[in-house]
Order: sequence, then structure tokens, then C-alpha cells
Amino acid sequence: MGWLATRREFLAQFGAVAAGVSLPRQVWGQPGSGEPQARVVIARDEALQRGSPDEHGETLRKLLDAAVQRLCGVDDSAAAWRKWFRPNERVGIKVNTLGLHTLPVVVDAVVSGLRRAGVPAENIVIWDRFDRELEKAGFKLNRSGLGPRCRGTDAERYGNGYHEKVETSGKVGTCFSRILVDEIDALICVPVLKDHNLAGVSLSMKCFYGAIHNPNKYHDNNCDPYIVDVVSHPLIARKWRLTVLDAVRGQYQGGPGNRREYQWNFGGLLVGTDFVAVDAVGADLIENKRREAGLKSLEADGRPPKHIATAAARGLGVADLNKIERIEL
Amino acid sequence: MSVRSKSGCRLTRRQVLAAGAACGAGVLLHGLTARAQQDVAGTGELEGLRLKGVVRSPAMFWEGLPDQQVRCVLCPRECVVAHDERGYCGVRENQGGKYQTLVYGALCSANVDPIEKKPLFHYLPGTTAFSVATAGCNMECKFCQNWQISQYRPEQVESVEVPPARLVELCRARGSPTLAYTYSEPVVFYEYMHDAAALGRQAGIGSVIISNGFIKEKPLRQLCQHLTGVKIDFKAFSERFYRELCSGELKPVLSTLETLKEIGIWFELVVLIVPTQNDSPQEIEQMSRWVVRHLGPNVPMHFTRFHPTYRVTNLPPTPVSTLETCRKIALDAGVRYVYAGNVPMHPGENTYCHSCQTELIRRIGFQVKFNRVADGKCYNCGTAIPGVWSQEQALSFRPRT
Repeated sequence: MGWLATRREFLAQFGAVAAGVSLPRQVWGQPGSGEPQARVVIARDEALQRGSPDEHGETLRKLLDAAVQRLCGVDDSAAAWRKWFRPNERVGIKVNTLGLHTLPVVVDAVVSGLRRAGVPAENIVIWDRFDRELEKAGFKLNRSGLGPRCRGTDAERYGNGYHEKVETSGKVGTCFSRILVDEIDALICVPVLKDHNLAGVSLSMKCFYGAIHNPNKYHDNNCDPYIVDVVSHPLIARKWRLTVLDAVRGQYQGGPGNRREYQWNFGGLLVGTDFVAVDAVGADLIENKRREAGLKSLEADGRPPKHIATAAARGLGVADLNKIERIEL
Repeated sequence: MSVRSKSGCRLTRRQVLAAGAACGAGVLLHGLTARAQQDVAGTGELEGLRLKGVVRSPAMFWEGLPDQQVRCVLCPRECVVAHDERGYCGVRENQGGKYQTLVYGALCSANVDPIEKKPLFHYLPGTTAFSVATAGCNMECKFCQNWQISQYRPEQVESVEVPPARLVELCRARGSPTLAYTYSEPVVFYEYMHDAAALGRQAGIGSVIISNGFIKEKPLRQLCQHLTGVKIDFKAFSERFYRELCSGELKPVLSTLETLKEIGIWFELVVLIVPTQNDSPQEIEQMSRWVVRHLGPNVPMHFTRFHPTYRVTNLPPTPVSTLETCRKIALDAGVRYVYAGNVPMHPGENTYCHSCQTELIRRIGFQVKFNRVADGKCYNCGTAIPGVWSQEQALSFRPRT
């Protein structure tokens, strides 16, 4: 494909196998052994359920560090972050700023972790589709000043924010954001816990509709298999290291738009390296809340999150909740 | 993208070339015609406010749904769209349960084109059409020549804001009797087209739409109150082609054609022949017979050449011999006016009286060398030639109800 080193070189460079990092097509434990095949850390703090999230920056930083340490099995947070990110890498933090959005204070915690891994601030870029949506979500745009960059793909005039080459992946043909193609070596996805009126849920995999120029073309059939086609392209699959799902707030109906009447304060983060597993657990949380609220399941509502099972069927991760170890902090 | 033949086997470019003919001549013609086709110019023809963004206006043809969702009923997709999301076309958006068009007057392309370029061969030949487009499309043809506007969102293309009245003025200033809504897919900028066509009519300017025909009946009938001509891209005669290569459907397009026939508006058909995909003689014959039976023998058919582009780059341009075969099949099936499109200096570009075979209109490329249709009739035998031959005739059209 020409985008990155071969899989072998990639693994050798980062010692990912030794660290037990979950990469596409790898599972924890032995398949069929009955042991969990993926791990998702669910880190919560009651304090996050009160007041404004912006007041809880320090709480979130500590919560995220604890989650990362637990996921890695190391005691030192800097060492934990360094399992996935190296100082010489450019790291992209893909957020979701459409409707109910990723909280800037959660992203601050992610940036803090990367900085402890030795990644310079100027090597970090927080990104999504539009400048205006980033600003509306409370992010401060930064194209060239000190600190992490923050900008939208469409900030470049007239489509120049997208790479000119049309990439094909499964049924999807698209141009990817230049930020993804040219400016980053590693990806962290920081989506938000919410439902979606067509895909069922909009979690980490759906977040990457914000990386392509024509997401509007891929919403029929509950966005399946298109979501999986997008994230299985090497441009994403080979760079994506970690998912930190912002579950400080959650929304179980009316998504992807911001519908306060359907939100609840979950007060936590879901963290994992198996993005399929993170999405499976996130979808389960949403279904539980819908049940509590007396609503139909997503499937009964005509929008089952089929893409999660499709991703698992393609070997991208684990969707079976019985095979996912939920580590609750 | 590597394309499979209808039998399911993956064909290489070499195999298709070996099966085709006139490779050398095809390359030369490809160069000529490719240049002619790649004219989705920018906005040089326009004076106006340069945009970075969208021009919002209330949309037509949608229904409210629970939870602030809407259902668009402009085209057969009937997209269900949540707040802050857009439909498949990328240019219509739901804001708080109200559907909006984002491209009302946001033109990204404008040219004064020969009407023959649309192609419309039986509509005011030798005149020009002021041709415009916005971003967006409600299909995704993997061979789209204009994909860089049709498959992009309005924020991603350079646009100029031109309100309908201003558009009509610009058309008149350039001496074109006709406005043409074209290049991308005009159905998706319906509201703007509708209003501009209505104003144009009042100002003595006709309007033609160059469309994929993927539109529901009610908006089509309403639009035809103001149009004076239509050209439909009839992609293929199989659901498979529409589904796999266009992300569309055949059946609604057939309904559109029958509705146009019923309304009585002048329309012509273009069939872009994609080697190995929609060029089988059986399919062309079935299509042609359907046209004759359901639309009548007087609807012109243009068979035009495919050129590798966008997501279909592993097939060669359509051999001229294939176009000639398609033309013969359609003529034998009873279609009276059949053209081999975009093959300069080919006799298949010319118009012949269906009764006495006299050459009536000679064309070289998009230029009319002579036109011997006199008052809508063959100058030789007096047979009425189907078409629109004067502006007066164009503007006098009223839809049959």
C-alpha cells in the first residue's frame, strides 16, 4: 500500500506484541480457551457526575492514567503511555464534534498522557471535520502556535484538506483527510458515548466518518459495512493505537444530535486498544440505559449497530460481550 | 477499482482491448473527446460573491418525523436525516427538524456551452445554453467525469452565490436562449433550479435539466411546469449496473421516463456505454425496445463513450465500433433518432429524416455545420421532425395534466 512499513516492521519497531497491545486481528489469550479475548477498562468517578465537566480536569487526568496503567499492566503512567506512543511520533487525536461532542477536558487528559510519554506538544494534533464544529464544541483552534495543534480538515479551502487520491476499501471509495494521511503516525480516537439514528451507535468506529470527504454516501443499511470498510483501510487500521471513549455524559436516544433530555451522567471513560470491544461495551451501556428508560432496543427500533459484529467478523476485534473482560475502576 | 464482467470474472484491461477494436483511433479520439468532456470549469463566467460555505434556504419535499428527524421525499432514496446530519446528496441538511438546502444559488460551475454538448440534438440546434451546477449528487457513479463537484460537499468546492434573478440576467447578457442545470445532479439543487426556471420562463428564457432521472414523481411534475426540455442519463437496463456502479436503482428512472412521456415535455436519452458492463447487444436491444414501446420511437437516444476516471480506471475507453453496434441495434429496434455521441466527424453525429433519410443536420463535434430542418419539418419530404425548433415553441410548452 505504500503508506507505512510492513506489519512485521511495525510490530518490531514498537514491541507491540511483547506489550500485549491489542492490534487488529490479535486477541488476548488463546481463541476458544474461554479466557477473555479483549479488555476494556471502565473508569468512573462519582465526582464527574456532578458539576461541570470542566471543573474535573485533574480527576479525569488521574482516571485516564489509572485506566491506561491497568490496561497495560504497569504501575507507572509514563511507562504505560510509552507502550503505545514514542517521542518521535506525531499523534492525532480524532474527536467527535457533531452534536453531542467530545469534551475538551477529556482531550486535555489525553494530551497530558502523551506529554508524559515524551511526545512534544507540537507533535499532537486534535482534529475533526470542521473548524466551526471544533470551536462550537469548545476546542481552541491552533494552526501554528505553541501547544497541540487543533484544526478541522475542511479548514483548508475548497476540498484541499482531503488527499486527492481516491482510496477504495470494500464498498467505500473516498478521499481521506490530509491530517490523517500526511500529518500523523499514530491515532487515538476519543469519541463520545451516544446513539445514532441510523448506525445505532456513534462510538469509535463511526467517529472516522469524520476522516473522509463523503460520509453522506455511506449511511444506508445502518451504515454497514461502510463503517468497517472505512476503519479497516490501512491509513486508519495501522495507525490506530488507543481508544478513550468519553463517557462523562452519555446519550441513548436522538443521536447524533445533542439532545439533553436523553442524556445521563455516566461519569467515566472507556479505554481499550481493541476498538471493536470498546464499541461493543459502549453499545451495551446505551442499550441498558434505553431499557431503563422504557425504550425499545436499538434493533427493535430498526437501527441495530450491525457494524460492530461486522468488524468482529472481519477479525478487527472482539464484539462478543462474553469474551470481553470489563475492568471497572 | 477492478470491475467484474457480468459473468462475474474479473476482466483485465488487456482482455478488453483485445476484444475491442480500433485501439489506435480510439486513443486519438479519446484525447479529443476527453478534452471536450472535462469542462467542469470553475466560476469564471460568474460575477458574484465568492463563498466559503453554504447558502441555506428552506427545502421543498420533505416530511417531519419524531425526534426532530426528517424524511426527504425529493428522490427515491427517501433519506431519513437526524438533526445536524445531511442526506445522501450531501447538500440538504436537517436543522432542528427543518430541512434545508445548502446550495441555493451556490454555483460551482458555469459555462456557456453549445446545446449539443448536453447533448440535446433536437432542441434549438446551434444555440448555446448557459450551463450551471452546484455541488452534490444523489447517486455515486463510479465513472463520473464530474466527481470533483458531484461527490463533494458544498464547503469543499469553490462557489459563487448567484440568486435566481441574477442567473437569468447573466444568461440573457450572454445571449443564450436557454439555462441548463447540469454537470453534477440538478435534482439535488431542486429549489434553486425550480425558482430560476420559473423566472427564466417569465423572461423568455427556457430551461433544460441534464439529470440522472432519480427523482420522485411529484417534484418532477412540479418542476416540469417551468422546464422546456430534459435530458436523462439512462445509465443501463439492469438493476445490477445501477446498484453496483451507480449506487442507484433502475426502476425509479423508468418511472421518470414514463412520467416525462405523459407530461409531453421534450426529452432525449444518453446512454454512456461502459465496456463489459452495459454494452451487451442483448441489453441494448432490450433497452431500445423498451424505449420504443413505452416512450415511442421519437425519443432520441445518444450512445456515448466512457473514459476511465474516478473509481473506474481499469477499463479502456469505449471502442467506436461498440457505439456503432449500439446505434444499429437501436435503429433496428425502431428508435428513429440514434446518435453515436462524442465521436467527432462520425456520421452517427448527424440527424437524418426518419422518413426519407435525408441528412438534415450535420455536426462536427458540438458545432452545427448546417441545419435543414425547416419549420420543424424535413426540407426534402416535409415529414415533421420531432424536437424543439424555435424558442417560441420551447416557451409555449405546457405540461399535459
